[in-house]
Amino acid sequence: MTSIDVRDLTKEYGGRRAVDGLTFDVRPGRVTGFLGPNGAGKSTTFRLVLGLDRATAGTATIGGTAYPRLRDPLRRVGALLDARAAHGSRTARGHLLALAASNRIPARRVDAALEETGLTAVARRRVRTYSLGMRQRLGIAAALLGDPEVVLLDEPANGLDPEGIVWIRALLRRLAAEGRTVLVSSHLMGETAAFADHLLILGRGRLLADTPVREFIHARVQPHVRIRTTEPAALADLLARHGHDASRDEDGTWTVRHARGDDLGRLMSEAGVPVLELATREATLEEAYLDLTAAETEFTAQPQEV
Amino acid sequence: MSFAPALHAEWIKIRTLRSLPAALAAMVVVTAAFSALGAADADDSDRLFSAFFGINFGQVAAVAFGTTAVSAEFRGGALRLTLSAVPDRRRWFAAKATAIALPALAAGLLTGCVTLLAGRAVLGASAPGWAEGLRGAVGCGLHLTLMALFAAGLATVLRSGVATLSVLVPFLLIVSFVIGDLSAGVADYLPDRAGQVALHSSWEGTLGPWSGLAVSALWAAAALLAGGWSLARRDA
Repeated sequence: MTSIDVRDLTKEYGGRRAVDGLTFDVRPGRVTGFLGPNGAGKSTTFRLVLGLDRATAGTATIGGTAYPRLRDPLRRVGALLDARAAHGSRTARGHLLALAASNRIPARRVDAALEETGLTAVARRRVRTYSLGMRQRLGIAAALLGDPEVVLLDEPANGLDPEGIVWIRALLRRLAAEGRTVLVSSHLMGETAAFADHLLILGRGRLLADTPVREFIHARVQPHVRIRTTEPAALADLLARHGHDASRDEDGTWTVRHARGDDLGRLMSEAGVPVLELATREATLEEAYLDLTAAETEFTAQPQEV
Repeated sequence: MSFAPALHAEWIKIRTLRSLPAALAAMVVVTAAFSALGAADADDSDRLFSAFFGINFGQVAAVAFGTTAVSAEFRGGALRLTLSAVPDRRRWFAAKATAIALPALAAGLLTGCVTLLAGRAVLGASAPGWAEGLRGAVGCGLHLTLMALFAAGLATVLRSGVATLSVLVPFLLIVSFVIGDLSAGVADYLPDRAGQVALHSSWEGTLGPWSGLAVSALWAAAALLAGGWSLARRDA
């Protein structure tokens, strides 16, 4: 079991702290979403974990070993940092063959990775003819090349078409189910909620949250139920009698907080209050995230640099 | 951590980037063609250099080869991917330099032989002898290899192919000619002129054919060391 362990990781660029005292673990067997606005330090953290940038302070290890000390690192860790990394004049196959050779990965893994990312048909075309989505798939193929236990993907859904987004979701879920350690950064919340089990939220280089997705949402935003009825007075009376926290909106719909649709439906049926609409609204990651960042005043006060 | 897989990977990269084998092919063709043209109009001042005149243009192709092989790593985050596969930067850079040197040397020796044969055919009676010619052919191969490595080192320091070529090409085609004509002595120690002594029948300065190549080798080594140092020091 290989986890990524980050301790007090700090990176300064000319006095500005891009990454500021980060401490977290990324555990195997689940997808960890790495969330934060552009410029929050996600990509810098990835580069520090991979030993590409030197940390000002702190450590990052993979299974207890610093990345640069891993033997044949692509067999342990696969990373997508930048879809532009493949040279436009090479074919996808040539690009992956060179990478594979550097870590003694057999050539059949190249074909397997191309197959897995749906690039087999275009493998002998030059990368410059690829769309952004295809380049992204090639970057993911490079990350999967060594069949690694740890997978780090920086904004993998960038440029993917809707079909590609569904595909990457399923891929991430599968990699985690196979017991791998999966860390995926994103600045898109809906997307992250769709694949992540666990969340690391970064703002201005600092860790704002390290929590399971469900818990994060439930702790910050209460689900609520929307009701429309022909007899508002009866409904108001019913809700008040059962101690529900309800309010009536301008358009005549009622919002009941801290309640479940199942309970309210039964209640209204028993009381004979006609139901025109009864809908449970689950809280979204976006709402929870905004609730978190609202607490961080500097977030809302100043625009993030990109 | 062994060297062979890194070298293998760098060799594949050179093989699969069409502009790189093309630069080596251009080196052979350009050197031989300009040499033959020059030989047809030679004035007997230096028999051997009459046959190898085209090296002035062929070395531009060698520089383009060395520069492009390195500068491909400095586009669009390619170096980050490369160094995530081979995190030991010194080992990677040694593999890169080797993967540049070996094909450059092979193509350079081929250039030397083709140029010599073409020169002898054109020059006829005033052609250089076999012993001298062979020294020229080997010197040509070594000189072109060293120019490719010098360019590779410089490109690593500058982290840009455009910057490297815009320094080296004017330098090779203009500055070196001008300075070389104005002041022998110091100019003899410039990387391109020192190595080219091996392609002359006679020489006036302090450098002979092999000491000249040794000076070129020092230039290449210095550029590579500077490149390796810059690579090891900076964030990728």
